[in-house]
Amino acid sequence: MTTTIPLAVPKQGLPLTQASDITQNQLTLQADAVVVGSGAGGAIAAYELARAGKKVIVLEAGPYVPSEKFAEMLAVAMGTLYQDHGGQSNMNGDIAILQGACVGGSTVVNAALCFRTPDYYLQLWGREHGLTNLTPEVMKPYFEKVEAHLHIREVTPSETSPGAIRIAKGLHKLGLPEGKARRNIKDCVNSGFCFSGCATDRKQSMLVTYLPWAVACGAAIYADTRVTQVLSADGKATGVRAEVIDPATGQKKADMQVNAPIVVLAAGPVQTPVLLFRSGLANSSGQVGKNFACHPTLSVTAVFDEEVRDFHGATHSLYMDRNTLPEQGGYLLLNAIQEPVEAAFQAEPGTGKPYMAYMRGYKNTLRLISLIHDKNVGEVRWVDGHKEIHYSVDDEDFEAMKKGLVTTCEVLFAAGAKKLLLPTSQQSEVASAADVARVIGGLKNEPARYKYTSFHPQGTCRMGADPTRSVVNPHGETHDVKKLYVVDASLLPTSIGYNPSETVYALASYISDQIVRSDR
Amino acid sequence: MTMSTFISGEALAPVLAALNRLSRRDFLRFAGVATAVPLVGLGNARAALPPGVQFLSSDEADVFTRLAEVVLPVAGTTLAPWTRDGLLQTLDAALLAGMEPHILAGLKGGVAYFNDGPVARFGKRFTALGDAEATQFVDAWGDAKEVPQRGLTMGLKKLVQLSYWANPASWAPLGYDGPVSARMGLPRLGNAPLPQ
Repeated sequence: MTTTIPLAVPKQGLPLTQASDITQNQLTLQADAVVVGSGAGGAIAAYELARAGKKVIVLEAGPYVPSEKFAEMLAVAMGTLYQDHGGQSNMNGDIAILQGACVGGSTVVNAALCFRTPDYYLQLWGREHGLTNLTPEVMKPYFEKVEAHLHIREVTPSETSPGAIRIAKGLHKLGLPEGKARRNIKDCVNSGFCFSGCATDRKQSMLVTYLPWAVACGAAIYADTRVTQVLSADGKATGVRAEVIDPATGQKKADMQVNAPIVVLAAGPVQTPVLLFRSGLANSSGQVGKNFACHPTLSVTAVFDEEVRDFHGATHSLYMDRNTLPEQGGYLLLNAIQEPVEAAFQAEPGTGKPYMAYMRGYKNTLRLISLIHDKNVGEVRWVDGHKEIHYSVDDEDFEAMKKGLVTTCEVLFAAGAKKLLLPTSQQSEVASAADVARVIGGLKNEPARYKYTSFHPQGTCRMGADPTRSVVNPHGETHDVKKLYVVDASLLPTSIGYNPSETVYALASYISDQIVRSDR
Repeated sequence: MTMSTFISGEALAPVLAALNRLSRRDFLRFAGVATAVPLVGLGNARAALPPGVQFLSSDEADVFTRLAEVVLPVAGTTLAPWTRDGLLQTLDAALLAGMEPHILAGLKGGVAYFNDGPVARFGKRFTALGDAEATQFVDAWGDAKEVPQRGLTMGLKKLVQLSYWANPASWAPLGYDGPVSARMGLPRLGNAPLPQ
């Protein structure tokens, strides 16, 4: 007779090891699998592998910031939770590329918006990249699984915001469909601080789901630990080398080596290719770091005569995707709450008094975002010890953005806006609905002209059947190095035009199953 | 307006000198970082604020101060007043401290380039311009044909804007009430139970 010991998940917080816990200057650890990164892909792989009985070690470069330390201020969150303190950008400097850099990764700071990968892309990936294994039928149970685990639900009627209510009226007036957001949030309190981390644990990020579950199944997590090299021998992964960095001083506290016959990379679409470059691995195709896409967004600010007070509410609660597939336009509209520090640089009403007048009227404003499906025209490089993100908005993609901006402006005027401000380097506004076509039509695709934001880097270790055109095979293993897997958004062969978090959740679950099966 | 109409004769020298201190790559890289400026945790920064700024020279501090005076005029409004020391301390400790050394070096070259920018047209550096001229210069560079001028202007404006609006004291005149969870006593749900 066997006795099953119930697995214990701590009620609050996450048991792990931080730099402050390390006393040796050299650590050598053994595991069945080492997972690099603790965000969407890494946390899911850690849990699924630990649940299957493997000894798992998770190494996270960022710090552990428990939710009781989330300040609900974007400026503070940028400094503590984001990659490069929020300063990561493309080389042109006109796209802020935001990623989480903490235990839990971007799931801690995203707006929790979830979409299943459209069948359109699963079929496209099958046709053009040989991913005939990722059919809608195969992926359906994985979507269902992560939706159940992460409490992914459509917003309730109370999960909205003053801005979203007005935007919905604009959509209805124009006969455009109002998409109700599906989010991995439980009992949302409508604080509007998703981008600063959920201080009350309502967002079902990896910090409060898969990571504590992985620990309950025996996984060990090390924060402040940056992997510097993937190790391999005879064409097989054998582990990683890492450095434990004291976040208070930036100084190395210890060297670490983890010996493990399975290595899972989930450092994100910027750091995963950088790690492969630094390791000199998995790049016989020359595709590592290539095919970068990022879903550039532009935010249009609407000014109303009356107060809107779009300060709190569901960060994202509605969308409009009638034109999201490439053939239909290639853009997605999303509402978003923004606090003053973000509103402060998203519009350009003119220097000095016009700007301060705009900010004094902050309570009379709301924002609507246009996100585009973009081509995979960018590249992440590792040059002289620094990462570089080379990406400029493609001319055809910019035309999609203009279509998105036209619809955005029409919706906002239909919602009652008095005038609109555009996120440009120079003073620009749209004074009336009659002016939309002229103003937006006159925009040109130029670097450092627009204030883009991206939350969705992707594509830099793309998945495919052809080892000459892709880095990772259809089961998530690199073509070149056996037992070396990738489970983050680097995998995506094309951008998908929608927030990719649920795609990553499902792919990580699928690949974890492949790892377990192949290791039996 | 192109760089050639902005700059001629002897006035070209300081601008080229500023540019020559930077590789083009580093300059554009700075523009990028300044547009997507890093924010070291302000809470921590305030708690550990050094007695003086660590990353700015006095010349650079003068450029940022003049830019803030032009970008953030609060006189005669209900907006919260700011001080030179407070703004520069936030800029230094919360924004510049988070930059990698090679990015910070690019920023310093960019600040010098920006300061020298008005010499050809106005016969003086940015720090010596009157309010109307300085505003005109900033708006002109924001709409310049030269990519570095646009990127630099967007980036430097963003730095001073963030240095002001990241301070919670600036929010009340906007009617914005800030963080809610602690104030409203909203309970934390903690970790989700293991899936069945």
